Amino acid sequence: MSRMATRARVRVTRTQLRARGGAPARWRRPRRSSAAPKPTGRASFRHCLHAEWIKIRTMRSTLYVVLGTLAFCVGLAALNGTSAGTEYADMTAADQATFDPLAVSLRGYLLAQIALGLLGGLVITAEYGARTIVGTLTSVPHRGRVLAAKAVVLVGVVLPVGLLVSLAGFLVGQASLAGADAPHLGLSEGLAQRGIWGGGLYLALAALFGLAIGTVIRSTTATVTTLFGVMLIVQAFAPALPGAVGDWVSKYWPPIAGGQIITGYRDPALLDPWAGFTVMAGCVAVLLTVAFVVFRKRDA
Amino acid sequence: MIDVRGLTKRYGDVLAVDGLTFAVRPGEVTGFLGPNGAGKSTTLRMILGLDAANSGTATVNGRPYAEQPAPLKAVGALLDPGAVLPSRTAYHHLLGLAAGNGIPRGRVDDVLAEVGLENVGRRRAGTFSLGMRQRLGIAAALLGDPPVLVFDEPLNGLDPEGIVWIRSLMRRMAAEGRAVLMSSHLMSEMELTADHLIVIGRGRLIADMTMKAFIEAHSDREVLVRSPQITELRRMLATAVNVRTDGPDGLLVTGLEPAEIGALAAAGDVELHELTARQVSLEQAFMDLTRDAQEFRTERAETAETPEKAEKAERLESAEKPDKAETEAGR
Repeated sequence: MSRMATRARVRVTRTQLRARGGAPARWRRPRRSSAAPKPTGRASFRHCLHAEWIKIRTMRSTLYVVLGTLAFCVGLAALNGTSAGTEYADMTAADQATFDPLAVSLRGYLLAQIALGLLGGLVITAEYGARTIVGTLTSVPHRGRVLAAKAVVLVGVVLPVGLLVSLAGFLVGQASLAGADAPHLGLSEGLAQRGIWGGGLYLALAALFGLAIGTVIRSTTATVTTLFGVMLIVQAFAPALPGAVGDWVSKYWPPIAGGQIITGYRDPALLDPWAGFTVMAGCVAVLLTVAFVVFRKRDA
Repeated sequence: MIDVRGLTKRYGDVLAVDGLTFAVRPGEVTGFLGPNGAGKSTTLRMILGLDAANSGTATVNGRPYAEQPAPLKAVGALLDPGAVLPSRTAYHHLLGLAAGNGIPRGRVDDVLAEVGLENVGRRRAGTFSLGMRQRLGIAAALLGDPPVLVFDEPLNGLDPEGIVWIRSLMRRMAAEGRAVLMSSHLMSEMELTADHLIVIGRGRLIADMTMKAFIEAHSDREVLVRSPQITELRRMLATAVNVRTDGPDGLLVTGLEPAEIGALAAAGDVELHELTARQVSLEQAFMDLTRDAQEFRTERAETAETPEKAEKAERLESAEKPDKAETEAGR
C-alpha cells in the first residue's frame, strides 16, 4: 500500500461526505490495494506478436482462405497437367520447344495470390470493419509495433501455406503430366526447386501486398477489388496496351515480373525470375513503408 | 488520474474540442456530460491516444497514453461495445487484448466471471445482445486491473438489472481508489453514480464541479406551498422571482426559501397546509443550463440584464455557438 492509495482513501472519504451529506451508507472503505501503482511488466513486441497470432488464428477467414487456396491450387494443377499433357502430342515443334511443365503445375498461383493477399488485407481491414482496431490500439498504442507484428505473423502463416501450395501443386501437376506421357520435372531438379521456393515466397509477398493495401484503404471490399485489378486485370490487359506501354507493363508490372519465378521457359522480352521477384519485393517494400507512415499518422 | 490541459481538436474548420482543461481524480466517479456532438467521445479518444490532438496534452498518471509501459494496466476503457469480430469468441477477443500487454490467461476467466459472462465465454461474440456486448467491453476494460477507468456510454442497451450492476461496479471501483470517468445521457443514473461532474458544450468546458454544487448552481430551487387562502398568498409572494400555480390550492415559488415563505404567511395570517422544498434533479439542472443560454438570446434585445448574468450567459452561449458569439461581439 503506497502513499498514493492512502491519499486516494482520504479523498474518497472527503468526497463522499461532501457529495452525500455525510450519508454513511454510500461510504465504503477501499477493499484492496489494487488501485495503487503496482510493478507492471513493460509490454513488448513479443507480447504484440502473441496477440496478433491469437487474432489471426481465431479469425474464421484464415482457415477458409488456407483450405480454399490449397484445394484450388492442387485441383488446378491436376486438371492443367492432364489437359496440357494430352495436348502436348498434337503441338507444333515450336510450341513443344516452349512447353513449360513447371508453369503448368504452378498456375494456381494466379488465384492463390489474390486469396492470400485478401488474408493479408483482412488482418487489418477486419479490424476496421468490426472496429476492433480501437481495442487493438488501446492495448498496444505503438502503431508501428502493431503493424510490424501483423506482418510477421502473416508471413509466419502464409509462407508455410505458400510453400505447401507450391509443393503440392508441383507434385500433383507433374504426376498428371507424367500420366499423359508429356515432359515433366523431378522434385530434385534446380528448376523445380526455384519454382517451389520462389512460388512460396511470391505468395508471402502477395499477402504483404494485401496487408499494405488494406492498411491504407481500410475496407475489405476495396482491398479485394484492388487485388483483382492489380494482380489479374492488368495482367490480362497488358497485351492490349499500345506497343511500348504494353511491353513495359508486361516486363515491369510487379505481379507480372514477380510471377516469372514460377515459369520454366525464359522469354527474352521479360525479366529473369529472380530479377522479377526483386521488382515485386521492392514494390511491396515501398507499399509497406507507405502503410507504416499512414497508419502511424492517421487517427484510428 | 487523468489530466487534460488545453486539449484541442480541429476537423477542418470545426473545432470539435476547444482548449479543454480538466482533471479526473482517483476515488471518485466523474461524470462527463454534454449534448450530442459536444466533443465527449473525441476527448476520450484523445486521452486514449486514438486521435491526435492539434494542441494541448492529455496524460494518465503523468504520462501520455502511448508512453504507458503496459497501457491496459494503466487505463481500462470502454469506448465501443460493438467492436468485436462476430466470429471470434468472447474468450479469444479478451485473450488477444490481454496478450498484447502480457496479462496472464487466467485473468480472462476472472474478468468474464466478474461481468457475469463466464457461461458464454466460448460463444461467438456475434451472437451477443447489446447488453452482453457492453459487459464484454467492461470485461476488456477490467483486464489489466487498472487504476483509471474510462467508460463512454456504458449504460446503453443494458436492462434495469444491468444498470444497477454498472452503478454498483462504478461505485466499487471508485471506493477502491480508482479514478473513474463515465459519460452518459441518462441523467438520473448519472446523478446516482457520479460524485463530480465535467460538463462540456461545443468542445468547451462549461462546468467542472461536484454534483451537489452543479445542481445548486444551475437550477433555481422551487418551493411548493399549499394554502386554502391561495389568492391572498399569491399577492403576498409578489416579490418572489417566479410564482406558478400548481393545482387549485398550490403555488410553486422560486426565489424564496421555505422559511421566508412561512414567515410571510405567518405575518399575513395565512393558513398553510404544505410547505415543501422541491428536490431538484440533475436532469432539470442540465436542462435549465441549456434553457438559460437560449432565453438569453431572445431577452437580450428587449431588456438590459445585470452585467454579471449577461457575462454568464455569454459564456454559455459562446460555448454553444462559437460563430454567433463572434459576430455579436463584433458589433
